[in-house]
Amino acid sequence: MSYFGEVALGSSFQPFATFQEQFGFVPKLFRAQTLLPRVIQAECALISAILFTDKALVHTQKECILLVLAAAQQNAYCLTLHYQMLKLLGVAEQRLNRIVTDYRQADLSPATSALLTLVFKLGTKEALQEASERGLNDESILEAILIAGLSRLLCTLSTGVGAVPDFAPRPIPSVQVPLADSDNSIEFFRSTPKLPEDFAPMLFLRNEFGSVPKVFSAQTLRPDILQAEADALRYLLLSEDALSRAQKRDILLAGTDLETLRERGLTENQVLEAVVTTSFAAFFNVLQTGLGAGSDFAAKMPTKNAHLSAPEQRQTTVTTSVDPDAECVARVQGGDLNAFEELMNRHSQRVYRTLVGILGNPDEARDAMQDAFLKAFQHLAGFQGRSKFSTWLVSIASNTAIQRLRERKPMESLDESAPDEEGFRPRQIQAWTDDPEQLYSQAEMRSLIENGVMKLPVKYRVVLMLRDIEQLGIEEAASALGLGIPAIKARLLRGRLMLREALAPHFIPSGNKRSAQGVTN
Amino acid sequence: MITCADFMAEIGNYLEGDVADEVRHQLEQHLSHCQTCTVLVDSSRKTLKIVTDTGTFDLPESTFRPIAEKIMARIRSGEK
Repeated sequence: MSYFGEVALGSSFQPFATFQEQFGFVPKLFRAQTLLPRVIQAECALISAILFTDKALVHTQKECILLVLAAAQQNAYCLTLHYQMLKLLGVAEQRLNRIVTDYRQADLSPATSALLTLVFKLGTKEALQEASERGLNDESILEAILIAGLSRLLCTLSTGVGAVPDFAPRPIPSVQVPLADSDNSIEFFRSTPKLPEDFAPMLFLRNEFGSVPKVFSAQTLRPDILQAEADALRYLLLSEDALSRAQKRDILLAGTDLETLRERGLTENQVLEAVVTTSFAAFFNVLQTGLGAGSDFAAKMPTKNAHLSAPEQRQTTVTTSVDPDAECVARVQGGDLNAFEELMNRHSQRVYRTLVGILGNPDEARDAMQDAFLKAFQHLAGFQGRSKFSTWLVSIASNTAIQRLRERKPMESLDESAPDEEGFRPRQIQAWTDDPEQLYSQAEMRSLIENGVMKLPVKYRVVLMLRDIEQLGIEEAASALGLGIPAIKARLLRGRLMLREALAPHFIPSGNKRSAQGVTN
Repeated sequence: MITCADFMAEIGNYLEGDVADEVRHQLEQHLSHCQTCTVLVDSSRKTLKIVTDTGTFDLPESTFRPIAEKIMARIRSGEK
C-alpha cells in the first residue's frame, strides 16, 4: 500500500535479496518504489554501506539512533520499522519504550547516549566537543552523522511514497530531545585523509557536479562510504527514463516542492523519482550540516509533514485571492464545462508559445495543444491552487511537449548542458543602429525574431519564450518548467545573448560592419 | 577594477535590474571605459525590447477556434 503502483520484481532482484537477508523481510517502503528498480538499487547501495556494515558502531547502536530520530521526526513508518528491528536484535520492548520517550533516562551506554546527543545537536561545536569528551573517535562520529542522514532519507522517502507500516504501527510519543545551547556551527570535520587523485568516486562526483562538493571531501575517512554514495548517485542520475539528469541534479542542489508535483501532470514514475531525489538531497543536506561542509545540497522539505499526502489529507494553502482564474477553475471543478472553454480562451497563447518553444515547430505545437488541454482537464480535479492556474497550465504544456520531444528526437534534451555551456563568447560586437525597429516592417521584424528564436537550442528557446515573449516572471517560469531559479537565469541570459548574436547582422549599420571579434580582456 | 569576464558574469542580473547598488556602480564604471561591453549591453537591451514589443508567435483566433472545438467535443463526449 502506497501512493505508487507495485510491480513484481523477480526474486533475483539483488536489493530485495539483501533486504530479506538483513531485515528478514522486504519493507513496504521499498516495495512502494518498484516502478523504478534502479532507485531501490541506489538506496540499497547506501543502506548496505551505512547500516549493514559494522565498522565503528554496531547495528544495535545504529538502529537505536534511527529509532529515536524517527520518533523525533514523528514518522510512524520508520518508528515502527526500527522498533521491530531492535526487537529482532534482542532489545526488550519496555526498554525500547523508554529509549523512544527519553533516551537520557533509559540507562543507555555512555557512548550510545553521547551518539544520540550528537545527532540532535548536529553541526555544532558543542556536539563535537561533547562527543570527544565521552571518548567517541572520529570514525564513530562520522558514522553517527551518516546514520542521521540515513534517518532523514528514510523518513522523507516513507512519507513521500506514502508507505504503510510493515507492522502494527507504534504510537508516536512526545519525545524529549536535547537542543544545542547555541548555533556555533563548526567549520569542517577534522579527519579528512587525502585520497589518491584518481579515486574513482571523486572523479565521478567532479564530473557530475563540476567540482567535488565539500560534503564528500569531508568523508575521506570512509572511502567505502564515498564509493557507496557515488554508486547511489550513479543509479539515481544516469538513467533518464523518468526525470532527466539535469532535473534530478537541480532537485539535489536546489530542491523542489513535492506537494505541487502531482498537480503538474507528471507521470507516476517522474513523481516517484522526484521523491527519491528529494530524499537523497535531504540525506546529503544532513551530512553537510553534521560535517560543517558547505551548503551544496538543498533541504526544501520540512522535517515534519514532509509528504506527498493523500489528497484528502493535504493542507490547503490556497492562493485563490491572487489568482485571476480561481473562480473559473472552481466552476470547472464543480462540473461547468463552459468554464473550461473560458480558461482555454484565456490561456491559448501561453500554452501555444510554451509548446512552440519546446517543440520548435508551429504545426506540431498546434497539434500538441489538444493533448495539453485534455491533460489539464483530466488533472484539474486535483488542482488545489498552490500555484497560479496559469503556471500550472504552462507546466502541463511543457511536460506534454517534453514527452513529444523525447519520442521524436531522443538526442535533443531540454535539460542537458551543452558541452560548450561555459565557453560562450559573444562574437558580434559592433554597435547597433539607434532605433532598430524603424528598419523593418512589423511583419519583417516578426519573421526575423521568430527565425532567430527557432534556431536557439530548445533549452534556451523555451525559457526565452516564457520570460521574454510570454512575460512570465522568473519564479513562475522556474516553477512551470520544474527548474531552479539559477538554471532559469543562466538559460535566459544565454538565450538572449544567442538571439542578440543572430539578430545583430540585421541591425548593424552597413558602414559599420567589420570582422567579428570575441570579448578578450 | 573588474574585467570583461567579471562583467559577463553579472550581465544577466544587470539586464534584469537585479544587482546591488555597489555592484551596479562597479559595472557602470567598467562600462564607462569598455566599448565592447557597452555594445553588448546596448544591443542586448535592444534585442529584449524588440522581442517584447513585436507580437511574435501569435496563434490567430481563426486557427485556435477549431482546435478548441475539437477539445471541447472530446471533453463533452467523455463526460457522457
